[in-house]
Amino acid sequence: MKAFRYVRVSGGAGDVGKLVRKGATLKAGGCDLLDRMKERIAEPADVVAFGEVQNEYLRAIAATPDGLRIGALVTLAEIAASKKVAAHSAALAEAARRAASPQVRHRATLGGNLCQHTRCGYYRIATFPCWRRGADVCPVLVDGAVQDTAGVFDNGECASAHPASLPPVLGALGARVVVRARKEREERAFEALWRQPAKGVHEDVALAPGEVIVAVVLPPLPARTNVAYEAVRQRAAFDWALASCAARVTRDGGKVKAASIWLGSVAPTPRRAVAAEKALVGKAPGAAGFAAAADAAVAGASPLPGNTYKVELVKVVVRRALERAARRER
Amino acid sequence: MADKKVGGAGGVTRRALLKGAGAAGAAAALAGSVEALAQETDGGGAGGAVAGPGPVRMTLSVNGKARKIVAPPRRTLLDVLRSDLDLTGAKKACDRGTCGACTIWLDGKPVYACMVLAIEAIGHEITTIEGLGTPDALHPVQAAFGKHDALQCGFCTPGFVMTTAWAVEKHGKRLDRQLVMAETSGNLCRCGTYSHVIAAALDAAGAAADAAPDEREGR
Repeated sequence: MKAFRYVRVSGGAGDVGKLVRKGATLKAGGCDLLDRMKERIAEPADVVAFGEVQNEYLRAIAATPDGLRIGALVTLAEIAASKKVAAHSAALAEAARRAASPQVRHRATLGGNLCQHTRCGYYRIATFPCWRRGADVCPVLVDGAVQDTAGVFDNGECASAHPASLPPVLGALGARVVVRARKEREERAFEALWRQPAKGVHEDVALAPGEVIVAVVLPPLPARTNVAYEAVRQRAAFDWALASCAARVTRDGGKVKAASIWLGSVAPTPRRAVAAEKALVGKAPGAAGFAAAADAAVAGASPLPGNTYKVELVKVVVRRALERAARRER
Repeated sequence: MADKKVGGAGGVTRRALLKGAGAAGAAAALAGSVEALAQETDGGGAGGAVAGPGPVRMTLSVNGKARKIVAPPRRTLLDVLRSDLDLTGAKKACDRGTCGACTIWLDGKPVYACMVLAIEAIGHEITTIEGLGTPDALHPVQAAFGKHDALQCGFCTPGFVMTTAWAVEKHGKRLDRQLVMAETSGNLCRCGTYSHVIAAALDAAGAAADAAPDEREGR
């Protein structure tokens, strides 16, 4: 790891943002950042100790009139154990509990889970050329590359697959992201947090320099609404998902009135499966409707020679998530 | 220590800070704007304290004792424990937060010491395997690991014991096979002694022994 200066601030996210705007790198739990620094993918001269900021807003899980607010520095372990989170969405607690290992969950934060960089093995090893690190071609797209964990959507230039556990559930829950911008806090739609990959750009989140994620707000769920999360991993525990799905289903009478379906580990960003939602709404919440939604979810997929299996796997996680959402509350 | 503390969050002294800053003139010049902004405490600055990139004097609380060390910000807690404090129970294997051999407790919770900076452990309680029990007074989980032969080469054992001791404390008699597997999923044993670890954990927790353990069950 290259030597760096460690900067503590006495204020909050606004002060951290000022330093980031000057070129410093924000560090919360560091599960992702230290990994990249050790691999020399990141070589910051200055690291700001966001993770040491003692601020109630950043560390609280709070029921508010707008919904459940989770601070950016809340750990995955705290989300997994929170009664408030479980009461709002057991699916979110489950996604947090199934992420990584206890040791990671005690350090990893909500904000870090959103901002972590791709876990693509080619991106993570500095000796490989990588389009996201400025090379001309993505090495995953080259014949003979290891492609089994790569994305199956939007993979024309970068075949990474967004690895994080929480985003699909947060997307399905209609989360809004609270960002500390230059002057004040701003709320953004969850979709607006993500950017399509670009040559030489490491980040997947669309934050302006100095903007800091400070919380996520989960609006109250409508009546007769269930949410479920499903993921398939190579190993049952402590592994990244090969594909994941979070589904929110609102019923009305014997029909699906509204649905929100999000996929993880299939594209460079978390991906909303709009076609699957459309295929499901108006149908009975049963096998036929779920199968139609699963088929619609993979329409337009562009698997690589090494990950054609993933298209079938996506259909499996969509179907399972919908089956669970039809069965259980929240 | 007569040095005046900087920043309040603990341990970094003004003298060490100035020494560090002086030793790294080139880096300071490159990143001068960050330093100026951080140290500007009024007039809209960020009001912070800069440490490093050179060695910083700090005090860590390790196994209930205050330990003074000098280390640059980039030094991990694991390297400080092993090399500066001669606490070699936590092992350095993957150094990427994956294998669990370096597991220690930070404020009573297991974390990977390789993925924590020593400087950010200031003000937190650090517990290593050396602080869990002694050869004469083993922690119940240490004793159970011996009784159930829950180790082969032993390299992963300190980390496994730290995670298991936390899980036993957390779940008590409710601990079961599935919970042990989930809670120790962040520790790898390349000898494959998992089934014995499960037996040791259940014994130490006073939980019901495994009725029909299937050692081929997937982890």
